[in-house]
Amino acid sequence: MALFRNSLTYVWLFLVGTTLVSWWLGATTAVADIDASALSLNFTVTVGIILIAVVKTRFVIWHFMEVRHGPSWLRWTCDSWLAFLAVMVIALYRYSM
Amino acid sequence: MLSGGGAAIERVPDFEMADQQTQSRARFPGQPAMWFFVIGDLWIFTCYFACYAFDRGQHSAGFLQGQLTLSQGIGVFNTILLLTSSLLVAFCVQAAREGATALARRLLLLGGGCGIVFLLVKASEWYLKISTGLPEGSDSFFVYYFMLTGLHFLHVCLGLVILALVFRELKKAGPPHVAFVESGAIYWHLVDLLWIIIFALLYLLR
Repeated sequence: MALFRNSLTYVWLFLVGTTLVSWWLGATTAVADIDASALSLNFTVTVGIILIAVVKTRFVIWHFMEVRHGPSWLRWTCDSWLAFLAVMVIALYRYSM
Repeated sequence: MLSGGGAAIERVPDFEMADQQTQSRARFPGQPAMWFFVIGDLWIFTCYFACYAFDRGQHSAGFLQGQLTLSQGIGVFNTILLLTSSLLVAFCVQAAREGATALARRLLLLGGGCGIVFLLVKASEWYLKISTGLPEGSDSFFVYYFMLTGLHFLHVCLGLVILALVFRELKKAGPPHVAFVESGAIYWHLVDLLWIIIFALLYLLR
């Protein structure tokens, strides 16, 4: 199967896998039986979910958008934006808790 | 359908091998104008994400309550749909580079089809949300929910128009304009990556 010899297929598998992990991490109970823990902020879970989203985003930029083959200024721009996004969202969340 | 295209995909050398053959020289993906738009759009969304993160902490009870009424399963389904769509469009670019335009068109149609299903699922989700009513005290959350998912919806619509233009390019006789195909694909991947972040912020954050 040529499909399985293409490195992009493995990138896709990784992205689907991390999506499922982040779902498990942030799973909430149904609205019908809201419990106290579901209604509280959880910094650790939040940081985990944000970091997974950032890693997934970098995989899309790097492999699907093919920035990994691009010039260094483009790679730096994309990575700087991602780092800024992660730090900003986590810092604002923490600050406003 | 995919297995049918497998033989043609096999002819496409793995991108890493192709890269080695070009002496690892940096190769600009797509056209500069598309990157100007993509980077600008990313910064605009970053501002929305900053407002959301701040407001969420300020009104955490209402946000969490609103968030609990969302179906995470639908969010996960839509995420996997867009990831699959991105993969198909990335395959389409590889096929276009090799001149396998018929295969590239099929892959593009499948990728675009996933985008249309995404829109239908999203519209159904909105309909269900509005028809069942929003929980009290979660207004702020739903302002962000409808704004972020609505803006993203418009991006998917524009992405489908761009994919249609790429399809037209692939239908022309002769070798396709590869940088144009790459630019269309880059926009489609932008739609995917924005959804990855929106999904995490709206559906999963605690």
